[in-house]
Amino acid sequence: MSAQEMKRKARFLQPLSEIRELDHKVLIRLEMPGVSKEDLNIQVENDRLRVFAGRQDKQMNGTYLLRERNRGDYEKVFTIDETIDRDSIEAVMKNGILDISLEYKKEVQPRKIEIKGT
Amino acid sequence: MELTKWRNNDLLDPMGEFERLQDEINRLFDWTYPSNRGLFDRSLSPAVDVIEREDEILLQCDLPGVDRDDLDLSISRNVITIKGEKKGEQEQSEDKKTYRKETWSGAFQRTISLPETVDPEKIEANMKNGVLTVKLAKREEVKPRQISVKVK
Repeated sequence: MSAQEMKRKARFLQPLSEIRELDHKVLIRLEMPGVSKEDLNIQVENDRLRVFAGRQDKQMNGTYLLRERNRGDYEKVFTIDETIDRDSIEAVMKNGILDISLEYKKEVQPRKIEIKGT
Repeated sequence: MELTKWRNNDLLDPMGEFERLQDEINRLFDWTYPSNRGLFDRSLSPAVDVIEREDEILLQCDLPGVDRDDLDLSISRNVITIKGEKKGEQEQSEDKKTYRKETWSGAFQRTISLPETVDPEKIEANMKNGVLTVKLAKREEVKPRQISVKVK
């Protein structure tokens, strides 16, 4: 990673993630409290899946008595390989959680072969 | 393509950044262990911001994925308790594989002492995009009042 790339990365918050595989689908879950559907930007570029979310509630007026929450824009980049069907990517945002589902291409999914016989 | 000059708004207010840093450091020295942790709080608990404004106290809490119905908010005098459960994925499938899990789930509780000036009767809570926002008004007698003095 170049110095410039590291500097750029430091500006963003990495949302907590969970990656699972279920029924031949890859499910990515990202926790992004404070982000609405409209703030989200998900892009697929070649083998990179980029999730970006600009946040509206970064700084509040007033004196902070307690400050634990992270603030800042979220960014997370995943690398996806050629077994993923680009057209199948779906995303759902609810209650500050983004669920992305990626399907494998038909040709890499396991096929059940029928055994013929008498 | 038209080129416009990029301007960082923070640069217009460099002192603001210093003030924020100073605030942050001051708060570091004020921090004492029991003040914002209740007896039953777990180490895994949601992050909370408490912001004091002229006539209200604002509390914000990150609760991604928590349903409004799973949340229990109570206040007695100036001590507020946020209780709830964060539900994780409960799939039962043989095909399931987990590659990475940074998220947590389970029950949580947070007890926070707010300034004495809050009015426990005037409280308003709102859940949006996984962030709980609680607005507490200050008691009438502590609100800053402006008394205009007539000059004869």
